[in-house]
Amino acid sequence: MSIDYALLFRVLLPEALLTATALLVIGVDLVWGRGRSRGSRLQMAVGAGLLGVGVAALVIWQDGAQGSVWAGNLRVDLLAVAVRLGVLGLTGLSLLGLTGSRVSDQPAEYVALALLATVGFLQMAVAQNLLLAFLALELASLSLYVLAGYDRSRPESAEAALKYFLQGGVSAALLLFGFSLLYGMTGRIDLTGISMALAVHSDGSLSAVAVGMVLAAFGFKAAVAPFHPWAPDVYQGAPPMSAALIASAAKLAGLAFFWRIFWSGLGPLAATAPLLGGAGGGWVPVLASMCAVSLLLGNLVALAQASIRRLLAYSAIGHAGALGLGLLSAGEVGPGPLFYYAATYGLATVGAFACLAILDRAGDGDRIEDLAGLRRRSPLVAACFAVCVLSLAGIPPLAGFFGKFVVFAAAFRIDGLGHPAGWVALLAIAMSAVSLYYYLILLKQAWIAEDVRERGPIEVPPAAALGLLLAAGLLVVLGAFPSLLLGRF
Amino acid sequence: MLPASQLWLIPALPLVAAAIGAAAPRTARRLPVFLALAAITGSLLLSVVALVGALAAPAAKLTANFTWFVAGSTAVRLGWLLDPLGALMSVMVCAVSVLVFIFSIAYLRADPRLGRFFTCLSLFVAAMLGLLVANSLLLLLLCWELVGLASYLLIGFWFDRPSAAAAAKKAFVITRLGDLGFLLGLLWLFQATGSSLFYDGGAGVLEAGALERLAATVLPGGWTAATGIGLLLFAGAVGKSGQFPLHVWLPDAMEGPTPVSALIHAATMVAAGVFLVARVFPLMAADQGLAAVPVHALTAVAVVGSITALLGAVLAVAQTDMKRVLAYSTVSQLGYMMLAVGVGAWVAAVFHLITHACFKALLFLGSGSVIHAAHHEQDSRRLGGLAGRMRFTYVTFLLGTGALVGLPLVFSGFWSKEAILHAAELWPVSHLPFVAGLTGVVLTAFYMTRLVCETFLGRPRGEGAEHAHESPRVMTLPLAVLAVASVAAGWIGTPAWPWLQSRLTGAPVAAQAWSDGLGLMLFSTVLVGVGIAAGWWMYGRRPRVDARALDPLAQRWPRVFAALAARLWFDELYAATLGRLLRGAAALAAWLERWVWGGVVGLTGRVAETTGEVNRAIDEDGLNTGFDRASDGLRRTAQQYSRAQTGDVQGYLRAVVVGLAVLALLLIWGGVR
Amino acid sequence: MSPLHVCLALSAALFCTGLVAVLVRGNAILVLLGVELMLNAANLNFIAFWRFGPGGGEVGLVFVLFSIAVAAAEAAVGMALVIAVHRHLRTIRVAAANRLKG
Repeated sequence: MSIDYALLFRVLLPEALLTATALLVIGVDLVWGRGRSRGSRLQMAVGAGLLGVGVAALVIWQDGAQGSVWAGNLRVDLLAVAVRLGVLGLTGLSLLGLTGSRVSDQPAEYVALALLATVGFLQMAVAQNLLLAFLALELASLSLYVLAGYDRSRPESAEAALKYFLQGGVSAALLLFGFSLLYGMTGRIDLTGISMALAVHSDGSLSAVAVGMVLAAFGFKAAVAPFHPWAPDVYQGAPPMSAALIASAAKLAGLAFFWRIFWSGLGPLAATAPLLGGAGGGWVPVLASMCAVSLLLGNLVALAQASIRRLLAYSAIGHAGALGLGLLSAGEVGPGPLFYYAATYGLATVGAFACLAILDRAGDGDRIEDLAGLRRRSPLVAACFAVCVLSLAGIPPLAGFFGKFVVFAAAFRIDGLGHPAGWVALLAIAMSAVSLYYYLILLKQAWIAEDVRERGPIEVPPAAALGLLLAAGLLVVLGAFPSLLLGRF
Repeated sequence: MLPASQLWLIPALPLVAAAIGAAAPRTARRLPVFLALAAITGSLLLSVVALVGALAAPAAKLTANFTWFVAGSTAVRLGWLLDPLGALMSVMVCAVSVLVFIFSIAYLRADPRLGRFFTCLSLFVAAMLGLLVANSLLLLLLCWELVGLASYLLIGFWFDRPSAAAAAKKAFVITRLGDLGFLLGLLWLFQATGSSLFYDGGAGVLEAGALERLAATVLPGGWTAATGIGLLLFAGAVGKSGQFPLHVWLPDAMEGPTPVSALIHAATMVAAGVFLVARVFPLMAADQGLAAVPVHALTAVAVVGSITALLGAVLAVAQTDMKRVLAYSTVSQLGYMMLAVGVGAWVAAVFHLITHACFKALLFLGSGSVIHAAHHEQDSRRLGGLAGRMRFTYVTFLLGTGALVGLPLVFSGFWSKEAILHAAELWPVSHLPFVAGLTGVVLTAFYMTRLVCETFLGRPRGEGAEHAHESPRVMTLPLAVLAVASVAAGWIGTPAWPWLQSRLTGAPVAAQAWSDGLGLMLFSTVLVGVGIAAGWWMYGRRPRVDARALDPLAQRWPRVFAALAARLWFDELYAATLGRLLRGAAALAAWLERWVWGGVVGLTGRVAETTGEVNRAIDEDGLNTGFDRASDGLRRTAQQYSRAQTGDVQGYLRAVVVGLAVLALLLIWGGVR
Repeated sequence: MSPLHVCLALSAALFCTGLVAVLVRGNAILVLLGVELMLNAANLNFIAFWRFGPGGGEVGLVFVLFSIAVAAAEAAVGMALVIAVHRHLRTIRVAAANRLKG
C-alpha cells in the first residue's frame, strides 16, 4: 500500500504550523523578551499565537475535505474540517481573552502550551485509529493539566490541576485498557477494521467491559455524570481562560473524537432493543441513562451554587447531558446537530469565561453577588455576558436555542418516544426550564442589582473587548442564520 | 393592498423602534417615546391596509413562506399569513396600543426611565404583532416567548419594589409551565407532519391532508394524535391566557405600571392564548367526529373555560384593590372566550376578544386615571366620592362597566357575550358552559357595580381621594376614544347583521331572525339586572363611610368572604403540592448521592434530615408565600446535594468507580453483542 | 488455562492493584504510581494479545512502545503538579487538597 506523503504533509501542515509557532513563541520570548514587561511579552505571545492559529485555519479552509488519508489512518471529512476550524476559532478567542486576564509571570509558555493542546485537538478531530487517537487525546490532556495549574500564586489552581490530573489519569488508563480489549477482540486498531470485525463476531462480557471503559473516558472528557466530579473544582480553581479552553475547545474536539470511536468503531454494538417490554442492549441505552442523570444532577445542583464558575460548571454538566444526547442521535441523523450544539456552546462558554477573567483581573471575587453593578461598571462586559448567558439558557434567537432545538429534534426524529433518546430529550426540555432560573439569577445580578460597594469602572483591554464582541456577535449571527453551520452538513 | 410577503413590516416597525430605543443613550428620553409612537402608528396604518386586502378575499389564506434553514434532510420553513383573523387582530392590537402609548406619556412623565419603558412597550407590541401574522407554529412560538420576556421586563419595571420583582418572576415562570406543553405539542406536530407551517398550499398542518392523518393516528386509550397535540397546545394557551389552574400569575401582574396592565389585559399578552386556540381551531376540532376519543380536545377547552369564567367572577367579588377586581374580571372573561372556542364558536370568541380589548383597556386606563389622580392609591376602600371630582373619568368608566356587564342592545359586550351564550346553549355535550356563563353574568354585574359604587360614590375616605382632580387631556383623550369603541364595537357582529362572522369564516352567514335567541337575550338581561340590583342594594344604597368598615358581604358571610379574599388559597395549594413534589425529587436525588458517597451513616442522617425537612414544611403551611417557598425549598435541597461534593479527589474517584461498575452491570444486563 | 488467559488474569490483577492504590493511598506519589500500574496493565494486555491473540502485524507492540512514552510524560506532569501542591500546602497528602468543594 503506497502512501502519498505530499498529501499527508498537507493534512498535517496545520499541526506542524502550530507546533512551530509554539516553539517560536518560547524562543522569541527567551531572546526578545528579556528585560521587557510582562504585558508586552504577553502581547507578543498572543499576537504570534493568533497568527499561527489564523494561518492554520486558512490552510484547513483552503484544503477542505480530502477524505481518507495515510491508508485510512486519518479521516479528513466535512466534520473534521468543521471541528478543526471550530477548535481553532475557540482557541483564538481564548487567546484574545487571555489579554484581559491577570497576567501570569510566564505568558509565552502559557500560549505555547495552549497551542500544543490545540495540536492535540486538531489530531483528535481526524484520528481514525486507536493509537493516533490515544496520542492526540494525551497530548491535549497533558497540556491542559499544566494550564489548569498555571496560576502559581494561588493554591486553588494547583489543587484544581492535581484533581484534574488524577481523574484524567485514571480515565486515560481506563481508555487504554478498553482499547487493549478492543484490540484483543478484533486484532485491529483502525476503527473501520474494528467495526467490521465486531459486526462479525464479538465476545459479550469482554466487549461490555471494553465499552464501559470507553464510556467512562467519554464521561470524563465531556463531564457527563457520574464521571463529572472534577468539573466544578477545575472550573473554579483553574485560571479562567484555562477553564474556558477545557470547557469549550476540548469539549468540541472530544465530542468529535468520541463520535468517531462510538459510531465508526463501536457502531455494531450500539444495537438497542425496544425500551419498554424487554431490556435494551448495547451502549445506546446506557449512554442515554448517563445523559439523563447528568441533566438532572447538573441543573438541580447549579441552583445551589454561590460561585459563578461553579454554577457554570454544573450547568456544563447539564449541557453535557444534552451533548451526549446529540452524540446518541448522531448515528441516525449525522453529526450536524451535535457539532452545532457543541460549537455554539463552546462559543458561549468562552465568552462567559472571558468576562469572568476580566472581572478576576479587576480584583473581584467569584461569588454571584460580585456581579452586582456590572452594568454600570462596564456596559460592554455586561452586555456580552448577557448574550453568552442567554445563549446558554437557550433563549431564541440566540445560537443556544437552535443548538437545543436541532439536537432535541434529532433525538425525536430517531423514533419518537420509542427510543430512549426521545425520553431523555423530554427530560432535557423540562430541565432547560429549570436552568432558566439560575441563568436569570446571574443576569439579575449583572444588570439590575446595584453595587453596594460602589466599585469603580472596569478597564477592558481592546483585544479582550474584541474577543468578547466576536463571541457575542457570532452567537447572534449563528442564531439568526443557523444554516451557516447547519446547511453544510 | 399589502401582499403577504410584506407583512413582516407590521411587527418590524416597533421592533426597530425598540432596537434603536435600546441603543439610545439614557439621556435621550424623548427619542424612544417618539420612535415608539411613530412606529406603532405606522404599524396601525399598515394593518388597516392589510385588513382591507384580507377582507377583499376573506376565504383565501394568503401566505408567503420561505426556508429558514436546512439541517440534513429537514428543512425548517417559516412564513407570513394574511387572513381576516390575523389582520383584524393586528388592527385591534395596534389601535389599543396607540391609545395606551399616548396615555403612558402622561402617566409615567415623571419616571426617570421613561425611555426604557417605551422601548419595552415597543418590543412587547412587536412580539405580539409578529405572533399575529406568523404562518408557522415555530415562528409563533418564538414571538410567544418574546411576548413573555417583554412582559417580564414590564411587570417588573419597578424592580425596586420586591413585590413587582416577585410578580414578574411568577408571571414568567408560570407561563413557561404552559409553554412547556406548547413546545412539546410543537415538537410532536413537527415529528408527525414534518412541517410547522399553518397553510402551505395543501401541505400545511391546518389543511385537510395533515388533519386527516393526525386524526387517523390512534394512540393507546383511543386518543388520537390530533387530540394530544391539541391539548398540549392548549396548555400553552392556559398559561398565557391565565386559565384555571395557571391563572395565579395574572392578578399579580398588576404590579406593573397601569398602562402595562391595560396592554397585557386587553390587547397583547392574554389575547395571545385565545388567538392561538382560534388559529389552530381546525386542529383542535380534528377529532370531533371520532366517537372513540375519550375526551375531545375541544371538550377539555370548554370545561377549563367554564371553570375559569366562574372562578374569576367569584374571586373578583371579594377583592378590594381596584386593579385586582379588574384582573379577576379579565380571568373570567378569558374563560368566556375559551368556553366559546370549546363549544365550537371560535368566531364568537374572537368577537368577544375584540370587544373585550376595547372595554377592558378603557377600564384599566380609567383606573389608571383614578390611581394617578389619587396619588397611587388603588384600594377602593380608601377611595370614594370621585364621581364629582373626576366627572369625565367617571362617565367613561361607567360606559366601560356597561360594556363589561353587557347592558342590552347598545353596549358591545352585550352582543359578544350573547353570541357566546347562544353557542353554549346549543352545545350538545353538556350544559356546564351554559350554566357557568349565566352565573358569571350575574356575578359580573354584581362585582362591577360594587367596584363603581365603592370607588366613585359616597364621600372620599382617604388622603388621595380628597385631593383628586381630573387627569390631563393626554390621559382623557384615549379614554374618550376607547369609550366610543366600547359602545360601538359590538355593532359589527349583531345577529341582525353578522358582518364579522361572515368575514372571519370566509362564508356568508345569514342574519338570524329577531325571534331566534330573543328569549335568551331577555333572560340574560334580567340576570344583569339582578346583579346590578344586588350590588346597588349592598353597596350603593348606603355608601361606605369608613375605610376600615367591614364589607357588607363579610358581615353576612364572613367565612366565605375570607376564603374569597384569600383567593381560595391557590398559591398555598401550589406551594404544598408542586413545591413539595420538586423538593421530593431533589431530596431523592440527594439521597442517592449521599448513599454512594457517604455510606450507611450518611444515609441514616440524610433520611432523618429529609423527614425533618418534610415535617417543618408541613408546619409552615398556610403562609402566603407559596411560590417563593417552592423555589426556596428547591434551592435548599440543591444546597444539601451540592455539599456531597466534598473536595476529596479520592472520594470523587470512588464515585467514578462505582459509576463505572454500574455502567458495566447495565451493559452486561442489557447484553452487548 | 492457556498462556493468553494467564496473561489476562495477571493484567487484571495489576489493574485492580493500581486502582486500589489510587482509591485508598493517602500519599500523592503512591496514587501516581497506582495510575502508572493501571496503564501498564493495559500495556501488558496489548503485548499478550499481540503474542497470543488474533491480531496480525506488529501493531500491538508499536502501541505499547508509544503508550510507555505517554505514561512517562504523564508521570512527569504528575510529579510537577504534586510539587506545585506541595509548595502551597507543605504536604503531599491527597486529602489535604480540599479547598475546592460544594
